[in-house]
Amino acid sequence: MANKVKNNKEIKEKNNSSNNIILSIKNASYRYSDAKEDDYALRDVSFDFESGKMYAIRGRSGTGKTTLLSLISGLERCTEGEIIFDGKSLKDMNLDKYRNSDIGIVFQSYNLLPFMTASENIVLSMDVSGLKIKKKKEKAIELMEKVGLKETYADRRVLRLSGGEQQRVAIARSLSYNPKIILADEPTGNLDKQTETEILEIFKKLAHKENKCVIIVTHSQNVCDNVDVIYDLKKSKEEEKK
Amino acid sequence: MFILKNAWISIKRNKGRNILIGIIILIIACACTITLAIKNTAVDLINSYKNAYDKEVTISFNRANMMKDFDPSQEESRENARERFDNIESFTISDVESFADSKYIESYYYTYSVGLNGNNIEKAEIESNNDMPNGFGRGKQNNLSSTDFTLTGYSSLDAMSEFINGTYTMNEITDNAWDIAFDGNYVFINEELASYNDLNLNDKIKLASDDGNTYEFEIIGIFKENEEGSTDAMSMFSNSANTLVTNASAAINITASNEEINATINPTFIIDSYDNIEKLQDEFYEKGLDENFVLQTNEEEANSGVSSIQNINSFATTFLVITLIIGGIVLFVINMINIRERKYEIGVLRTIGISKFKLTMQFVSELVIVSVVALILGACIGAVSSKGVSNSLLESEINSSNERTVEIGKNFGGANMNGGMPDRGNRGEMRGKGMPVVEAYDSIDAVVDIKVLLELLGIGISLVLVSSIASMVSIERFSPLTILKERS
Repeated sequence: MANKVKNNKEIKEKNNSSNNIILSIKNASYRYSDAKEDDYALRDVSFDFESGKMYAIRGRSGTGKTTLLSLISGLERCTEGEIIFDGKSLKDMNLDKYRNSDIGIVFQSYNLLPFMTASENIVLSMDVSGLKIKKKKEKAIELMEKVGLKETYADRRVLRLSGGEQQRVAIARSLSYNPKIILADEPTGNLDKQTETEILEIFKKLAHKENKCVIIVTHSQNVCDNVDVIYDLKKSKEEEKK
Repeated sequence: MFILKNAWISIKRNKGRNILIGIIILIIACACTITLAIKNTAVDLINSYKNAYDKEVTISFNRANMMKDFDPSQEESRENARERFDNIESFTISDVESFADSKYIESYYYTYSVGLNGNNIEKAEIESNNDMPNGFGRGKQNNLSSTDFTLTGYSSLDAMSEFINGTYTMNEITDNAWDIAFDGNYVFINEELASYNDLNLNDKIKLASDDGNTYEFEIIGIFKENEEGSTDAMSMFSNSANTLVTNASAAINITASNEEINATINPTFIIDSYDNIEKLQDEFYEKGLDENFVLQTNEEEANSGVSSIQNINSFATTFLVITLIIGGIVLFVINMINIRERKYEIGVLRTIGISKFKLTMQFVSELVIVSVVALILGACIGAVSSKGVSNSLLESEINSSNERTVEIGKNFGGANMNGGMPDRGNRGEMRGKGMPVVEAYDSIDAVVDIKVLLELLGIGISLVLVSSIASMVSIERFSPLTILKERS
């Protein structure tokens, strides 16, 4: 753990030189309320994320990947340290608002509502974010087409879609309120190689053409090969790829 | 708005569960409507019944006080008791008027009885028997047994309790009897006395006091005493055979001219509340009432008439409480199960940023929509069902009060007899002892009224809130990420 902390600090110093930082994790630690005093699920992690780049957070089981995902997505708050989004600490923000406006989350198991159609899932997300547009379904179809789904899929129940198609719907849902960050948890974990590549291409486009900050929590080497920056929680080592 | 939209989608999606919840709420609503309707009807009846009873206060001997330290085996004790009894200071008309001048008393009436002898009529008698009513005479306690007749003057129709309770029933009456009965020397006489002296309506009788003065009265009615009213089995005449019924003024006028004529007064005071009886008694004592007298109310009599309705009211209340407790628990459990089944949905919605409050509102909205539909249906079914039950309850009371009204009317010689029904003066509507106000129930269909509906609405809101506690607590406790990881 000590080695990881040291490496994370080095990364923080390096990233401070950038002016395009959208999300900054500063000495974040997390300990469950019923854990012992020194039993941290995540300890003293510091990462910076820039807009227009695609990141991978890699690590073995137990290194705190999911905990970090909870903290970045605002589902939990740091017990120590802080996370800065667009210059504001998450501690001072309404995390529900943050989740439905500033960050889009994509899960390995898609987490769509099965009793709704593809477009209804996307429109629901727009509703929750308070998006004030009249033709939400048309917007949803537009987003689906953007991630490679035809209009005919709009009225299908999500359970009648394949894994790849459901993941595309999940990505479209995460884009429905035009967030600055896309956070994905093993987004290709349940997909075949071909679909994985297609999904990664979507993420790349979002990062490089639409200036989103895409953060993927993964242990897939294929994903790591496609991102701009890898943060290794185990080794806490930043690797500039390009 | 999307909360309601989502709630509606959820209701349509979970038809089975929502129909089950709806049926439970429907049953609760039905049961509540019926019990509330019965309860409210019962409460109305009780109030009506109690209002129909004048809150009466009479003055009676405090026998317990008088018999204190009395030892019948000792001559001295017996002598003392007798002396105590003889020395009791009774009260007069002016005392009664003074007592009645109290903030606790709404009105009063009295009977005033005078002992007189016959001048042109004879006492109906085979054996020696005089039948003075119990009362409190002028001055020291006295009895009127030495005279032939008792002239009983009533201050108003309300004072004529023997006619109201059916002891006396009018047999014959002149056309204008009730127009003149309380204004002049007119009498109602017992049919036995009329027969014994061959007297008829409009005949004039003369009575004489001990000092030789004579008083003439015109007969305007002939009544009979019902058999159950007779207490002397050894007499061939009824107790009231020698009782002449007139108005109080006529009786008082006789005694006004002669202080020696014996008379008795029986006052009845109508009070505003039974709660003030002790204060009123203290006030009477301050005004000179002998402390061997006490005040008595008719509260027990008034309450006894409504005991069966009160039992129905208590049963309805108990049934309502049990229904609500069981219904509330069942709904709570169903909602707990519902929330557990929908943990994944909660996790997804929380993850995409819906607030705990909005999520709770969605679940509450689902329950509210189902509850409103079920409550409306339940209220309608309950209204139809309760109508029969409550109406039969009402009808029996109305019939009984109608019969009582007619019966009292007949006692006064009303209905199909000459003279018609008497107007009971400032008392307004035809009320009597134990007579509910019939007019209050002319709209018998209004069993499930706005009051019941409002109470039902309150119950519905309470049930929704109680059963929503499950969703509120669960949404507060659930960690969205944990839910989604469990699902994965």
